[in-house]
Amino acid sequence: MEPLDLFSMRESYNRQQIMLCFNGPISRSLIEEIGNALRNYLAAEQAPASSAMDVFAVYIELTQNIRHYSRLKDWDDQDAGATVVVARDEQGRYVVSAGNLIEAADGERLLSRVKALAELDKVQLKALYKTQLRKPREEGVSSGAGLGLIDIARKASAPLEASLRQVDAQRAFISLRAVI
Amino acid sequence: MTDFSIDGSQSSPTIQGNWAQGILSMQGDSYPENPYELFHQVFSWIEGFLQNADRPLHLELRLLYLNTSSIKALMDIFDLLEAAHVQGKPVDVSWYYDKYNERVVELAEEFKEDCSFPFAILSHN
Repeated sequence: MEPLDLFSMRESYNRQQIMLCFNGPISRSLIEEIGNALRNYLAAEQAPASSAMDVFAVYIELTQNIRHYSRLKDWDDQDAGATVVVARDEQGRYVVSAGNLIEAADGERLLSRVKALAELDKVQLKALYKTQLRKPREEGVSSGAGLGLIDIARKASAPLEASLRQVDAQRAFISLRAVI
Repeated sequence: MTDFSIDGSQSSPTIQGNWAQGILSMQGDSYPENPYELFHQVFSWIEGFLQNADRPLHLELRLLYLNTSSIKALMDIFDLLEAAHVQGKPVDVSWYYDKYNERVVELAEEFKEDCSFPFAILSHN
Protein backbone atom coordinates (compact mmCIF):
# COMPACT_ATOMS: atom_id res chain seq x y z
CA MET A 1 0.00 0.00 0.00
CA GLU A 2 1.44 3.38 -0.89
CA PRO A 3 1.82 5.76 2.03
CA LEU A 4 -1.01 8.25 2.29
CA ASP A 5 -0.03 11.77 1.42
CA LEU A 6 -1.96 13.50 4.14
CA PHE A 7 -0.43 16.85 3.33
CA SER A 8 -1.77 16.68 -0.24
CA MET A 9 -5.14 15.59 1.07
CA ARG A 10 -5.15 18.50 3.50
CA GLU A 11 -4.21 20.95 0.76
CA SER A 12 -6.90 19.52 -1.51
CA TYR A 13 -9.59 19.72 1.20
CA ASN A 14 -8.59 23.23 2.21
CA ARG A 15 -8.55 24.43 -1.38
CA GLN A 16 -12.06 23.03 -1.90
CA GLN A 17 -13.15 24.47 1.46
CA ILE A 18 -14.25 21.07 2.69
CA MET A 19 -15.33 21.38 6.32
CA LEU A 20 -16.22 17.79 6.84
CA CYS A 21 -15.97 14.60 4.83
CA PHE A 22 -16.65 10.99 5.47
CA ASN A 23 -16.46 7.76 3.53
CA GLY A 24 -17.49 4.33 4.77
CA PRO A 25 -20.17 2.32 6.52
CA ILE A 26 -22.62 4.73 8.11
CA SER A 27 -24.46 3.82 11.30
CA ARG A 28 -27.21 5.77 13.04
CA SER A 29 -24.85 6.90 15.78
CA LEU A 30 -22.21 7.95 13.29
CA ILE A 31 -24.76 10.15 11.50
CA GLU A 32 -25.49 11.79 14.86
CA GLU A 33 -21.86 12.26 15.82
CA ILE A 34 -20.91 13.73 12.45
CA GLY A 35 -24.06 15.83 12.74
CA ASN A 36 -22.78 17.15 16.07
CA ALA A 37 -19.44 18.04 14.54
CA LEU A 38 -21.29 19.83 11.75
CA ARG A 39 -23.39 21.82 14.21
CA ASN A 40 -20.29 22.82 16.15
CA TYR A 41 -18.49 24.00 13.01
CA LEU A 42 -21.54 26.00 11.95
CA ALA A 43 -21.70 27.62 15.39
CA ALA A 44 -17.97 28.40 15.30
CA GLU A 45 -18.45 30.07 11.90
CA GLN A 46 -21.34 32.03 13.42
CA ALA A 47 -23.73 30.91 10.73
CA PRO A 48 -27.21 32.37 11.37
CA ALA A 49 -29.38 29.91 13.31
CA SER A 50 -31.77 29.41 10.39
CA SER A 51 -28.97 28.68 7.88
CA ALA A 52 -27.31 26.31 10.32
CA MET A 53 -30.61 24.47 10.74
CA ASP A 54 -31.01 24.25 6.95
CA VAL A 55 -27.53 22.78 6.46
CA PHE A 56 -28.08 20.34 9.31
CA ALA A 57 -31.50 19.37 7.94
CA VAL A 58 -30.15 18.66 4.46
CA TYR A 59 -27.28 16.62 5.93
CA ILE A 60 -29.73 14.55 8.03
CA GLU A 61 -32.22 13.98 5.21
CA LEU A 62 -29.50 12.92 2.73
CA THR A 63 -27.77 10.54 5.13
CA GLN A 64 -30.99 9.07 6.53
CA ASN A 65 -32.23 8.43 2.98
CA ILE A 66 -29.04 6.45 2.35
CA ARG A 67 -29.57 4.52 5.59
CA HIS A 68 -33.18 3.67 4.67
CA TYR A 69 -32.11 2.49 1.25
CA SER A 70 -29.32 0.31 2.64
CA ARG A 71 -31.68 -1.34 5.11
CA LEU A 72 -34.15 -2.02 2.31
CA LYS A 73 -31.46 -3.65 0.17
CA ASP A 74 -29.82 -5.39 3.10
CA TRP A 75 -26.35 -4.92 1.65
CA ASP A 76 -23.21 -5.52 3.67
CA ASP A 77 -21.53 -2.59 5.44
CA GLN A 78 -19.10 -1.76 2.69
CA ASP A 79 -21.72 -1.58 -0.03
CA ALA A 80 -24.17 0.14 2.29
CA GLY A 81 -21.74 2.95 2.98
CA ALA A 82 -21.93 6.59 2.18
CA THR A 83 -19.60 9.29 0.96
CA VAL A 84 -20.55 12.63 2.48
CA VAL A 85 -18.97 16.05 2.12
CA VAL A 86 -19.90 19.44 3.58
CA ALA A 87 -18.03 22.31 2.00
CA ARG A 88 -18.34 25.98 1.16
CA ASP A 89 -18.42 27.33 -2.36
CA GLU A 90 -16.79 30.48 -3.75
CA GLN A 91 -19.75 32.58 -2.64
CA GLY A 92 -19.50 31.22 0.88
CA ARG A 93 -22.65 29.12 0.58
CA TYR A 94 -22.72 25.72 2.27
CA VAL A 95 -22.74 22.71 -0.06
CA VAL A 96 -23.82 19.30 1.21
CA SER A 97 -23.05 16.34 -1.04
CA ALA A 98 -23.78 12.68 -0.44
CA GLY A 99 -23.24 9.61 -2.57
CA ASN A 100 -24.03 5.93 -2.31
CA LEU A 101 -24.27 2.73 -4.28
CA ILE A 102 -27.71 2.16 -5.77
CA GLU A 103 -29.34 -0.36 -8.05
CA ALA A 104 -29.23 1.03 -11.57
CA ALA A 105 -33.00 1.21 -12.02
CA ASP A 106 -33.47 2.93 -8.65
CA GLY A 107 -30.71 5.34 -9.63
CA GLU A 108 -32.44 6.26 -12.88
CA ARG A 109 -35.70 6.89 -11.02
CA LEU A 110 -33.99 9.10 -8.45
CA LEU A 111 -32.15 11.02 -11.15
CA SER A 112 -35.45 11.71 -12.98
CA ARG A 113 -37.04 12.78 -9.73
CA VAL A 114 -34.25 15.26 -8.99
CA LYS A 115 -34.50 16.67 -12.52
CA ALA A 116 -38.27 17.08 -12.12
CA LEU A 117 -37.83 18.88 -8.79
CA ALA A 118 -35.29 21.20 -10.35
CA GLU A 119 -38.02 22.57 -12.65
CA LEU A 120 -40.26 23.67 -9.79
CA ASP A 121 -40.33 27.05 -8.07
CA LYS A 122 -40.73 27.57 -4.31
CA VAL A 123 -44.52 27.77 -4.51
CA GLN A 124 -44.76 24.55 -6.52
CA LEU A 125 -42.30 22.79 -4.21
CA LYS A 126 -44.40 23.75 -1.19
CA ALA A 127 -47.57 22.42 -2.85
CA LEU A 128 -45.79 19.17 -3.75
CA TYR A 129 -44.45 18.89 -0.20
CA LYS A 130 -47.94 19.27 1.27
CA THR A 131 -49.32 16.62 -1.10
CA GLN A 132 -46.49 14.21 -0.31
CA LEU A 133 -46.91 14.85 3.43
CA ARG A 134 -50.43 13.45 3.27
CA LYS A 135 -49.59 10.34 1.27
CA PRO A 136 -49.67 7.12 3.31
CA ARG A 137 -46.26 5.83 4.36
CA GLU A 138 -45.20 3.29 1.75
CA GLU A 139 -43.15 0.45 3.08
CA GLY A 140 -40.47 -0.74 0.73
CA VAL A 141 -40.41 2.36 -1.43
CA SER A 142 -36.85 2.36 -2.65
CA SER A 143 -36.71 5.45 -4.78
CA GLY A 144 -35.75 7.72 -1.89
CA ALA A 145 -37.81 10.34 -3.62
CA GLY A 146 -40.30 11.14 -0.96
CA LEU A 147 -40.77 13.97 1.48
CA GLY A 148 -37.08 14.22 2.40
CA LEU A 149 -35.98 15.00 -1.13
CA ILE A 150 -38.64 17.67 -1.57
CA ASP A 151 -37.66 19.19 1.79
CA ILE A 152 -34.04 19.37 0.63
CA ALA A 153 -35.12 21.03 -2.64
CA ARG A 154 -37.11 23.63 -0.65
CA LYS A 155 -34.17 24.50 1.61
CA ALA A 156 -31.65 24.70 -1.22
CA SER A 157 -30.84 28.06 -2.78
CA ALA A 158 -30.29 26.47 -6.21
CA PRO A 159 -31.80 23.44 -7.97
CA LEU A 160 -30.56 20.11 -6.61
CA GLU A 161 -27.93 18.38 -8.72
CA ALA A 162 -27.58 14.64 -9.15
CA SER A 163 -25.27 12.44 -11.14
CA LEU A 164 -25.27 8.73 -11.74
CA ARG A 165 -22.42 6.51 -12.88
CA GLN A 166 -22.47 2.81 -13.61
CA VAL A 167 -20.35 0.71 -11.27
CA ASP A 168 -21.11 -2.86 -12.40
CA ALA A 169 -23.82 -4.78 -14.23
CA GLN A 170 -26.53 -4.13 -11.65
CA ARG A 171 -25.37 -1.14 -9.69
CA ALA A 172 -24.52 2.48 -10.03
CA PHE A 173 -23.26 5.26 -7.76
CA ILE A 174 -25.58 8.20 -7.20
CA SER A 175 -24.35 11.53 -6.00
CA LEU A 176 -26.62 14.35 -4.79
CA ARG A 177 -25.49 17.91 -4.22
CA ALA A 178 -27.41 20.65 -2.42
CA VAL A 179 -26.35 24.28 -2.11
CA ILE A 180 -27.82 26.07 0.90
CA MET B 1 -54.97 6.29 31.76
CA THR B 2 -52.00 7.77 33.50
CA ASP B 3 -49.31 10.33 33.13
CA PHE B 4 -46.39 9.42 30.93
CA SER B 5 -42.97 10.77 30.34
CA ILE B 6 -40.20 9.98 27.86
CA ASP B 7 -36.66 11.20 28.34
CA GLY B 8 -35.27 13.02 25.36
CA SER B 9 -31.95 12.30 23.75
CA GLN B 10 -29.73 14.21 21.38
CA SER B 11 -31.97 13.21 18.49
CA SER B 12 -35.35 12.74 20.15
CA PRO B 13 -37.64 15.05 22.12
CA THR B 14 -38.51 15.01 25.82
CA ILE B 15 -42.20 14.31 26.18
CA GLN B 16 -44.57 14.58 29.14
CA GLY B 17 -48.27 13.81 29.35
CA ASN B 18 -50.16 15.10 32.39
CA TRP B 19 -53.57 13.49 32.61
CA ALA B 20 -54.97 15.64 35.43
CA GLN B 21 -54.00 18.94 33.82
CA GLY B 22 -54.71 17.76 30.26
CA ILE B 23 -51.29 18.90 29.04
CA LEU B 24 -49.04 17.11 26.57
CA SER B 25 -45.66 18.78 26.15
CA MET B 26 -42.72 18.11 23.84
CA GLN B 27 -39.32 19.81 23.76
CA GLY B 28 -36.18 19.52 21.72
CA ASP B 29 -34.99 18.14 18.41
CA SER B 30 -36.56 15.15 16.74
CA TYR B 31 -34.58 13.26 14.12
CA PRO B 32 -34.59 9.55 14.95
CA GLU B 33 -34.48 7.19 11.98
CA ASN B 34 -37.79 5.79 13.00
CA PRO B 35 -39.85 8.29 14.98
CA TYR B 36 -43.10 6.36 14.62
CA GLU B 37 -42.56 4.19 17.70
CA LEU B 38 -42.01 7.32 19.78
CA PHE B 39 -44.83 9.37 18.33
CA HIS B 40 -47.19 6.42 18.37
CA GLN B 41 -47.07 6.47 22.17
CA VAL B 42 -47.99 10.14 22.12
CA PHE B 43 -50.78 9.47 19.62
CA SER B 44 -52.23 6.68 21.79
CA TRP B 45 -52.11 8.79 24.94
CA ILE B 46 -53.87 11.69 23.23
CA GLU B 47 -56.45 9.36 21.70
CA GLY B 48 -57.14 7.91 25.14
CA PHE B 49 -57.44 11.37 26.68
CA LEU B 50 -59.82 12.61 23.99
CA GLN B 51 -62.02 9.54 24.35
CA ASN B 52 -62.15 9.38 28.13
CA ALA B 53 -61.27 12.65 29.81
CA ASP B 54 -63.99 15.03 28.57
CA ARG B 55 -61.75 17.98 29.48
CA PRO B 56 -59.67 20.43 27.43
CA LEU B 57 -56.40 19.16 25.99
CA HIS B 58 -53.47 21.56 25.62
CA LEU B 59 -50.32 20.79 23.62
CA GLU B 60 -47.28 22.77 24.69
CA LEU B 61 -44.48 22.51 22.13
CA ARG B 62 -40.90 23.69 22.28
CA LEU B 63 -39.71 21.62 19.34
CA LEU B 64 -36.71 22.63 17.25
CA TYR B 65 -35.39 20.61 14.30
CA LEU B 66 -37.68 17.87 13.02
CA ASN B 67 -36.65 15.45 10.27
CA THR B 68 -39.32 14.75 7.66
CA SER B 69 -40.41 11.47 9.24
CA SER B 70 -40.99 13.31 12.54
CA ILE B 71 -42.96 15.95 10.66
CA LYS B 72 -45.18 13.22 9.18
CA ALA B 73 -45.70 11.68 12.62
CA LEU B 74 -46.53 15.04 14.21
CA MET B 75 -49.00 15.73 11.42
CA ASP B 76 -50.89 12.55 12.38
CA ILE B 77 -51.19 13.98 15.89
CA PHE B 78 -52.46 17.33 14.63
CA ASP B 79 -55.01 15.49 12.46
CA LEU B 80 -56.23 13.72 15.59
CA LEU B 81 -56.67 17.07 17.32
CA GLU B 82 -58.42 18.52 14.29
CA ALA B 83 -60.92 15.63 14.23
CA ALA B 84 -61.63 16.17 17.95
CA HIS B 85 -62.03 19.91 17.40
CA VAL B 86 -64.53 19.30 14.61
CA GLN B 87 -66.53 17.17 17.07
CA GLY B 88 -66.61 20.08 19.50
CA LYS B 89 -63.89 18.92 21.92
CA PRO B 90 -61.67 21.67 23.35
CA VAL B 91 -58.09 21.32 22.09
CA ASP B 92 -55.35 23.89 21.55
CA VAL B 93 -51.67 24.13 20.75
CA SER B 94 -49.01 26.61 21.84
CA TRP B 95 -45.66 26.40 20.04
CA TYR B 96 -42.83 28.43 21.54
CA TYR B 97 -39.82 29.48 19.46
CA ASP B 98 -36.56 31.35 19.84
CA LYS B 99 -36.69 34.67 18.00
CA TYR B 100 -33.23 34.03 16.49
CA ASN B 101 -34.40 31.05 14.44
CA GLU B 102 -37.25 31.76 12.06
CA ARG B 103 -37.23 28.20 10.69
CA VAL B 104 -39.11 26.98 13.76
CA VAL B 105 -41.79 29.63 13.19
CA GLU B 106 -42.06 28.62 9.54
CA LEU B 107 -42.47 24.96 10.48
CA ALA B 108 -45.13 25.75 13.09
CA GLU B 109 -47.00 28.00 10.63
CA GLU B 110 -47.07 25.27 8.00
CA PHE B 111 -48.65 22.89 10.50
CA LYS B 112 -51.10 25.59 11.57
CA GLU B 113 -52.29 26.01 7.97
CA ASP B 114 -54.04 22.63 8.20
CA CYS B 115 -55.59 23.17 11.64
CA SER B 116 -58.72 25.08 12.58
CA PHE B 117 -58.34 24.78 16.38
CA PRO B 118 -56.54 27.48 18.42
CA PHE B 119 -52.83 27.34 17.51
CA ALA B 120 -50.59 30.00 19.06
CA ILE B 121 -47.03 30.51 17.84
CA LEU B 122 -45.21 32.46 20.50
CA SER B 123 -41.70 33.77 21.03
CA HIS B 124 -40.15 32.89 24.37
CA ASN B 125 -37.53 35.66 24.14
